Amino acid sequence: MLEKGKISAIQLIILLYPTITATAILVLPATTGSFAKQDMWLSPIWASTFGYLSIFIAYALHKYYPQKTLIEYSEKIVGMIPGKLIGFGFLFFLLHTNGMNLRDYGEFVVGNFLQKTPIIVVVLSMAFVCAITVYGGIEVLARSSQFFFPVFVVLFLFIIVLLIPVLNPKNILPVMGEGLTPSIKGALIPSQWFNEFILISFLLPYLNKKKNAFKWGVLSVSLVMITLVITNLFSLLLFGDITSYFTYPFMDAARYISIADFLQHVELIVMALWVTGMFIKISVFYYAIVLGTAQWLGLTSYRPIVFPIGFLLVVLSIWVTPNLQKLTEFSSTTWPVYAFVFQMFIPVSLLLIAMLRKKKSN
Amino acid sequence: MHPLLKTNILLRSIFICLLLFVLSGCWDRVEINDLAIVTGMGIDKTDEGDIELSVQIANPKAMASSGSSSGGQSDGETTVVNTVKGKTIFDARSKLQEGLSRQFFEGHNRVIFISKELAEDGIKKHVDFFARFPSPRLRANVFIVDSKASDILKVPSDFELNSAEVARELAKLKIGLNITTKDLLQQLANESGSIALPIITAEENPTGKKGLRLSGSAIFKKDKMVGQIDSALTRGVLWIRDKIEMSSVTLEPDNTEGYISFELLRSSTELIPTIKDGKWKMIVNITTEDDVVENETNLDILDPKITNKLEKQLERKVKERIQDTLDYVQKELEADIFGFGEAFHHKFPKQWEKEKDKWEEKFPKLEVEIIGEAYIRRPGRSNIPQEEQKKE
Amino acid sequence: MKWLSILGILVITILIILYEWPKLKKNQKKEKKAFAVLLLTSVTLSIVLLYFPDIPGPTELIDTIFKPFGNLLSNL
Repeated sequence: MLEKGKISAIQLIILLYPTITATAILVLPATTGSFAKQDMWLSPIWASTFGYLSIFIAYALHKYYPQKTLIEYSEKIVGMIPGKLIGFGFLFFLLHTNGMNLRDYGEFVVGNFLQKTPIIVVVLSMAFVCAITVYGGIEVLARSSQFFFPVFVVLFLFIIVLLIPVLNPKNILPVMGEGLTPSIKGALIPSQWFNEFILISFLLPYLNKKKNAFKWGVLSVSLVMITLVITNLFSLLLFGDITSYFTYPFMDAARYISIADFLQHVELIVMALWVTGMFIKISVFYYAIVLGTAQWLGLTSYRPIVFPIGFLLVVLSIWVTPNLQKLTEFSSTTWPVYAFVFQMFIPVSLLLIAMLRKKKSN
Repeated sequence: MHPLLKTNILLRSIFICLLLFVLSGCWDRVEINDLAIVTGMGIDKTDEGDIELSVQIANPKAMASSGSSSGGQSDGETTVVNTVKGKTIFDARSKLQEGLSRQFFEGHNRVIFISKELAEDGIKKHVDFFARFPSPRLRANVFIVDSKASDILKVPSDFELNSAEVARELAKLKIGLNITTKDLLQQLANESGSIALPIITAEENPTGKKGLRLSGSAIFKKDKMVGQIDSALTRGVLWIRDKIEMSSVTLEPDNTEGYISFELLRSSTELIPTIKDGKWKMIVNITTEDDVVENETNLDILDPKITNKLEKQLERKVKERIQDTLDYVQKELEADIFGFGEAFHHKFPKQWEKEKDKWEEKFPKLEVEIIGEAYIRRPGRSNIPQEEQKKE
Repeated sequence: MKWLSILGILVITILIILYEWPKLKKNQKKEKKAFAVLLLTSVTLSIVLLYFPDIPGPTELIDTIFKPFGNLLSNL
């Protein structure tokens, strides 16, 4: 086996939770807001069903092939060549998406704080830190996120609590004024963020106690769902109809905080939140890519390709888009479909075929 | 030494050297003494139809000396006001930067003054900069200025560091409207399409000193200013919007001479939209609690019966005030700054969807019923009947 | 300025090679190949992008494949 490390169930949650929430916290209120308006806080609830589904699929496949990741068992299920093709497609998807994540990270930092700094510097330094983490293997990855996770949560709660005095509860009305449709429309894009939970299939084989794996997965989806409902609700209660005007509503919400003319200008906390969250997110994707590629190529160790892939990620992060507009447009029109194919359609098909095969052999 | 280890040492030293570059900080490092900290911004209209941007910049020299020197002799004003013309705010800002030894920084800007002339042409396009450019904050207060915005910035202040701060503190007292850039954006996005912004004026007091004063509100339809209301009517708007915090009511009770003054403790307003047989109606339900703070009459306000009567009169007085506001703003200006449209949208989303395009015509004819309940909680610290005092 | 960027790319590449190559054992032929191919791709790509920053990338590729479905989504 390529990876000899083991992680605990708690570490699994700690890895997955920021992987989904990191980007979602900042961007989600704007994307859901433009579709769902005052019902946007409902959207993460609908979207989370995809998260549960992902966990279920990954777990069911894991039951059939307990020691293998998605890249490995796809070959077992559909045969060598189709399996390799699926694997390649999946790795391409992950690589491309992580390039976008890295760019997202850079865009936020440069757009809000370091306007004159070349984005490559911001992206490169993040990629370098992630590369070192991934190089250390799953245990190092898990422990470093264990280190940053409490920071992430505490900072998030800090902002949320400080926001309470400026909220206007009336903004939530009318609840479901136009029925369920707007909030379900708003759920379409976040549903694919929840589908990123399929990454659990790269972590499940290295879980030390497999007994409650499913339960822990479900718990992490629920935690993500609650977090996103809170984020959306708070942005809505503060900004109302104009939430979707902002590129990063949560950021502007934090900038709005002012307690007794004294505790104010706390937006740097959002920056800290973003950096810690994105570090984990990019690392988890990066790890899945490196591990998957090594398995796909049949290497004996994944370490030699960590840095080359990191380099490729940096190049991709520049290549994926000429500007933030294109990135936003792409991630709200084409990406959801693209992600659905790889994160949902392929795993579901794999599971169905695996089930049929099992029946036949019985 | 093993050759492998050797390369590693070499590599490590290269890495450490590379890390030094990272430690030197980033491109965007700016020292605080290279910053021109903007405390207030004003926008005026030029004769050519362009805009004129005025910025009030904190003068650190004067601030430092006014703090330390005992004589109070400071070298210059605590703020410097610069003015320049431009096509857009950022254009003007760039031109201003040419004559400024320090870099602009709007991160601490808390007040935006917009001149009336500009407001009459529409303000939406000017607000964009404050929401798009990274450093301004959405919490900055927005005011409409009767005269020139640059003049307001130049008004000296008695208690605060600068006039912008005075304006902000005035807004914070909630005697008038307190509107931040965020609120303004929200109102601009609002379906009812009307905005109210506080008006601030520089007035000369008898001693010849200039001071800032809140004087009512500017009423906008869409994003163009269409009229203004005075402080008393503004109070009515605050009352309907459930934003009133400080208010005094003075009334002349029936069957007696003199006045009684009440101070508002708390008040809550509920907007209850109703649709009956296709007829839209708004019920404004006001509950206020007051204390007696001054009694010129010979009424014994400890008597519950009299208190009851007074409560009725107080109720009437409050209703009158609100009716005055409605009469002018709803009937004359026809601007829904009360949030009536929103209330209908919240309660009757389906009907609203159908009628919202016609709201502009519907609003002035909307039937509004004011119901209220006033409570007088306490008679005050003492109870000295006026009659007895006279007898002495 | 371009030559400086190329220099930067080369320095990074050399550092990666210096760090990783000695660790690869003689019999790890496959690993060496993978390492070399991936690194070479990245370096070429980065230099090409330096001169032609507008060449269509993976995003454009995916866009052409999935755009019809994406439009369907936004027209819902």
